[in-house]
Amino acid sequence: MLFNILKSSNNRKPDTKSYSLPSSKNGSSVSGSSDKSKLSISSLNAWFGTKLALKNIDIEFKQNCVTALIGPSGCGKTTLLRCINRMHEMTPNASVKGKVILDDFDIYDKGSDPVIIKRRMGMVFQKPNPFPTMSIFDNVASGLKLNGIKNKSLIKDIVQESLEGAGLWNEVKNDLDKPGISLSGGQQQRLCIARALAMQPEILLMDEPTSALDPLASSKIEELISDLKKNLTVIIVTHNMQQAARVSDYTAFMYLGELVEFGQTAQIFRNPVKELTERYISGKFG
Amino acid sequence: MTRLIDLGLNRLSNIIFDMAILAENTVIKSIASYKEDNMETTKEIFESSSKLRFLQDEVSVLTIELIARFQPVATDLRYIKSCMEISYGFSRFGRYAYDIITVLETLGPLKLCDKSSIIHMSGIVLEMMKTSVSALRLLDNSMSNKIYEMEDVVDILYKKSVRECTKITNQDNLYSDNRCNISSALILKYLERISDHACYIADSVNYIVTGVTSPRR
Repeated sequence: MLFNILKSSNNRKPDTKSYSLPSSKNGSSVSGSSDKSKLSISSLNAWFGTKLALKNIDIEFKQNCVTALIGPSGCGKTTLLRCINRMHEMTPNASVKGKVILDDFDIYDKGSDPVIIKRRMGMVFQKPNPFPTMSIFDNVASGLKLNGIKNKSLIKDIVQESLEGAGLWNEVKNDLDKPGISLSGGQQQRLCIARALAMQPEILLMDEPTSALDPLASSKIEELISDLKKNLTVIIVTHNMQQAARVSDYTAFMYLGELVEFGQTAQIFRNPVKELTERYISGKFG
Repeated sequence: MTRLIDLGLNRLSNIIFDMAILAENTVIKSIASYKEDNMETTKEIFESSSKLRFLQDEVSVLTIELIARFQPVATDLRYIKSCMEISYGFSRFGRYAYDIITVLETLGPLKLCDKSSIIHMSGIVLEMMKTSVSALRLLDNSMSNKIYEMEDVVDILYKKSVRECTKITNQDNLYSDNRCNISSALILKYLERISDHACYIADSVNYIVTGVTSPRR
């Protein structure tokens, strides 16, 4: 397992050269990433009816970093993700209380528009979900068209840019008119990422994006995540501990709706502070 | 329910503690042989030393296999990493034990030599070895300080005794034999190295327990 260079987890002398590899392909370890907060959550509670699903969550997501949300099923990872882009409130009887500050703006302020918020945050789901009746091109262009962009040349450019950003362009550039669902599972997931990228989001939310993919397709998505963080802030829910260790800069461990531990991924996976975290990541429960 | 990795970790622990016993016995035997001027144990000590080296390789293969198959994290990962270093330490104990008996074989017999400084220092070093193994067995890093303190004593004794070796050579009225001085200096060095490795084992125990790498002393 390759962890990024630890600047905090041990007491090496400053002049001691570390030969550990960075966690990401572009080499931007935590120490090299922005310290600026992109999204800050405080005292967040979420309910399904009367059932409290998230309890007083306080967490800060750094800009241009990948943060992994880990924890056993039902711990609230996906609910947290859905609170971040205001999808949670679309569930009947669901409610939210607390602050979610995107840059300097509380997305739960009375005056805020959920549609605009969703535009600023792309989301990729567990199972690839391209629009079944649309071509590859139209899948990526759909969001642009829905937002009233009619300039064909501009749409074409953005579609190409998005497919390139998702690492799919070279594989589909001659088949843009073919249905999106004609692609393999891994390609379909990258198509969905391209669709999200077309809206030029600032944050990409990924809910177990590789759980339905084979190892090769998964590794392509992981490489892509490392590339994407140059321009985006990524929050990924994953059940794969090794994936979290490979792709993320920060990791948050959740249990029964609470945030148990949050810290640099290397610290969480090498030397977690909480016994519960240690037990979970070591596979002693879950 | 037992995790699959636990089977491997148990196997790893068994090898490590087998090594601990073998390493300790080999050093004890080597020092006793030196004291008694007994060269008959050379082959036995060589074989023990070779076995320790072999077991170190076994640990190396097993640890890499555990990392590749189970991708361990946290305490499991720290324990596995430390086992690699600890097994190297035990392997070095065996090697120094063999080096000590080789000195006797090469320069002996050494019956007339003053062995008091070596006997004194070996007592401390053996105690350090025992304490480091106990610390490992109990995963008790509170024993580390005792080991570090003993190492400080060993370092002082080493320097003092080596200086004395050169003084004796210059005194005509005392029994002076270069073989005694050279053998003492070499064995003192081997004992000092064993004490260093006992400290490294204590460092590893500390790392397993706390996740913090010990600073170089």
